[in-house]
Amino acid sequence: MRGRMNAGLLVGGVLVGIVVLAALVSFFWTPHDPTLVDAARKLREPGGGYLLGADKFGRDTFSQLMVGARTTLYVGIVAVGIAAVIGTPLGMAAGMTPRGWLSELIMRVNDLVFAFPALLLAVMLGAVYGAGTLTAMIAIGVATVPAFARVARAATLQVMVTDYVLAARAAGRRRPAIAFRHVLPNIGSVLIVQASVSFAIAILAEAALSFLGFGTRPPTPSWGRMLQESQELLFSTPRLALWPGLAIALAVLGFNLLGDGLRDFLDPKLRRIRAEG
Amino acid sequence: MLKVDGLTVRADSVELVHDVSFAIGPGERVGLIGESGSGKSLTALSLMGLLPEGVAASGMARLGDRDLVGVPESRIKELRGRKMSMVFQEPMTALNPLMRVGAQVAEVMTLHGKPRHEARARAVELLERVRLPEPAQIARAYPHQLSGGQRQRVMLAIALANEPGLLICDEPTTALDVTVQKQMLELIAEVAPALLFITHDLAVVASVCERVLVMYGGRVVESGPIREVFTRPRHRYTEGLLAASKLTPRGTRLPAISGSVPPAGRFPGGCVFRNRCPQATPACETAPELTGDAHAFACWHPAD
Amino acid sequence: MTLYLVKRLAVLLASTAVAAVVVFAFMALLPGDPAEIALGVNATPEAVAELRRQFGTDRAPVAQFLDWAGGLLQGDFGTSYVTSAPIGPQIGDRLGVTAVLVLGGMILAVVIAVPLGTFAAVHHRNALGAVISAASQLGIAIPAFLAGILLVFVFAVQAQALPSGGYVPISENPAEWLRSLLLPWLSLGLVQGAVLTRYVRSAVLDVMREDYLRTARAKGRGSTGALWRHGLRNASIPVVTVLGLQLATLLIGAVVVERVFVVPGLGDLLLNGVAQRDLLLVQGVVMVLVAAVLLINFVVDVAYHLLDPRLR
Repeated sequence: MRGRMNAGLLVGGVLVGIVVLAALVSFFWTPHDPTLVDAARKLREPGGGYLLGADKFGRDTFSQLMVGARTTLYVGIVAVGIAAVIGTPLGMAAGMTPRGWLSELIMRVNDLVFAFPALLLAVMLGAVYGAGTLTAMIAIGVATVPAFARVARAATLQVMVTDYVLAARAAGRRRPAIAFRHVLPNIGSVLIVQASVSFAIAILAEAALSFLGFGTRPPTPSWGRMLQESQELLFSTPRLALWPGLAIALAVLGFNLLGDGLRDFLDPKLRRIRAEG
Repeated sequence: MLKVDGLTVRADSVELVHDVSFAIGPGERVGLIGESGSGKSLTALSLMGLLPEGVAASGMARLGDRDLVGVPESRIKELRGRKMSMVFQEPMTALNPLMRVGAQVAEVMTLHGKPRHEARARAVELLERVRLPEPAQIARAYPHQLSGGQRQRVMLAIALANEPGLLICDEPTTALDVTVQKQMLELIAEVAPALLFITHDLAVVASVCERVLVMYGGRVVESGPIREVFTRPRHRYTEGLLAASKLTPRGTRLPAISGSVPPAGRFPGGCVFRNRCPQATPACETAPELTGDAHAFACWHPAD
Repeated sequence: MTLYLVKRLAVLLASTAVAAVVVFAFMALLPGDPAEIALGVNATPEAVAELRRQFGTDRAPVAQFLDWAGGLLQGDFGTSYVTSAPIGPQIGDRLGVTAVLVLGGMILAVVIAVPLGTFAAVHHRNALGAVISAASQLGIAIPAFLAGILLVFVFAVQAQALPSGGYVPISENPAEWLRSLLLPWLSLGLVQGAVLTRYVRSAVLDVMREDYLRTARAKGRGSTGALWRHGLRNASIPVVTVLGLQLATLLIGAVVVERVFVVPGLGDLLLNGVAQRDLLLVQGVVMVLVAAVLLINFVVDVAYHLLDPRLR
């Protein structure tokens, strides 16, 4: 199937593309100042330059959504980056020395970190240092490390028994050389798929944390907090919950479809190593 | 006993097996040979009603007075394991890893009406009959505790459990070690009722069967008694197979047939073998009929 | 098997102990001093020192840890610096509510996912199977708290059939208890059910391609019978693993859902603890949640070994 486009990849790509575009454009332009509080526009109905209306503080919903996309991507990129940078080498090291003490230690620590979900880490960090975007990103990133490490390890184990690695080892190449020249390029596609799936999970986690007040702090717009603020108005103005909810769901759907689509696109063999959620 | 007439197997628009006809009498042992991709296994699976999803058979196949093709699964499943059985190529994956061996043998009997305790006892007898050492112990084992050869014997025990009239073996020894292969073949030859034996190994057919069908490109290209077909092949494909096989003494062995088996649906029109046949002429663009009584072949330029 | 159980149990105890050290170390790194926080900025140094002695926070961290961990073993989580109430009983009360919430959500997820996923696998070639796959993909994209808000909108705001939040203990009014938990259960169960449906589908699909199913059919079973008798138990092995991971996810999801529906469970206690800077309480609740995740992993691993004779 290598190289063949599939519907999931296309839809996922378009959804992710929209989020990225909204985030990029928001740096230069939004219809209104997303943080501008204006009592006169309180709960303004959609229309007249306010495409999706305004919230209880009179902030323009559409502008908030655009900047919220930026927050979401920012948290996702940093969190997945942390997870990939820490998890990948650990997983590779464990996979290249499958019977050594190092591998055992890495996987044990991995299991332990796994017992600390993003939310608990964020709450602990928040309790100690005060909650914010930074603590949320670190918590989500650290909690995602085990998924990367496991997938990197599984893929490395497969690469290590291929003929070219066996040949390189027989030729006396040292482990770091093998890791960079053979293993990393060959597990790259697995990691890209994992990154996409992890990104979706990071978006969910960021939304949940902001909803609980452990993520992005006001006034920076965030989809999760928009939802939280809209909850009390669910009876009177349900549209305030609708838009951020839709944004979260479509962004997550986009990254999940992109991950699945990439998996099929890059290599059908990858289906054996499932990205971890 | 088994009569097949005009059996055709299709996947969507691609014809995988074309108009295959043959018969097997009670107690008769027939070999079905050809390279992989020639349609042997599909022929066998269509008799059992076990074709993979998206693949369908048409034509006529009858076991005794029961139709096998074009009937709903509910009608054919009561024949499977009772009137006809099948042993597959890959013993390592053919048994349920989570179920004890004895229970898997007994299952085929309870399914067809034998009380559970009787089936359990008979399962051990069957394991003994296929020459497994310590049958009672093996009955309590899980498949992963047995070797490939032992598992294939278990499969044979399952196949024989209800004393079927017809046994179909699809490359039953291909996945086994050479020494184990020989024992397995002797066992099959000893216990089989009527047999349809599928293989690509001509020597194996010669040791087990009386009659042989040669398939290529989804068609039967030659059929007849083993002795005649193997000593005096008429179809050029059979000739090529024999020349390349272990049956021909070393040194006089000819190189294998040139080229390789085309993928399904890519065989040439007319004689399916003509793109690989050294004797092909424009006449071969018309499909030859399978002609002859005991020894039949479908070739415009037969060998003498 | 016994040896495995002993080894695995040792791993469970060891990781719980390490987790306790991590949780304690984390909370002990605190910049704030509980005594100073409790007394406010105008307190005299003498009063602070006195309170510190009362709290026991003037001792060496190791001594404090041993004290805390020793208490945990006896179910004593210490006394809150903020409310002066013992923490153990509070956690005990809330644990039951959260457990009911999580288990109900899990059962709902399984009840949804197993038939739906199996059906989608069996019918993977036709439209209905594709619809189920698409629906589960969509369900995965909706976080539990968003599902909760949607459910509130549909069932509480529009239909006015169920309460939008709040909790009634079962001892007070069983019918109201059930009504108060329905939407939280649905929020957790629907989302996890969607995730699980995908795994069930792919596990059943994998099993359907296995040779032993063909063997079962060659014995005389129909394709449904073969799948039922030989397929589902094999398919359950990977599904059980996912189920364990999900139970952990659900536990955390419950924290958020409790906030949406104002259900007084562990999550509610945890978030209130953070809000009031009741750090010993936070420390206790985090420890309980982490221990629960470790325990779930343990149960899953053991179940895995029980299901698969190849591992015994």
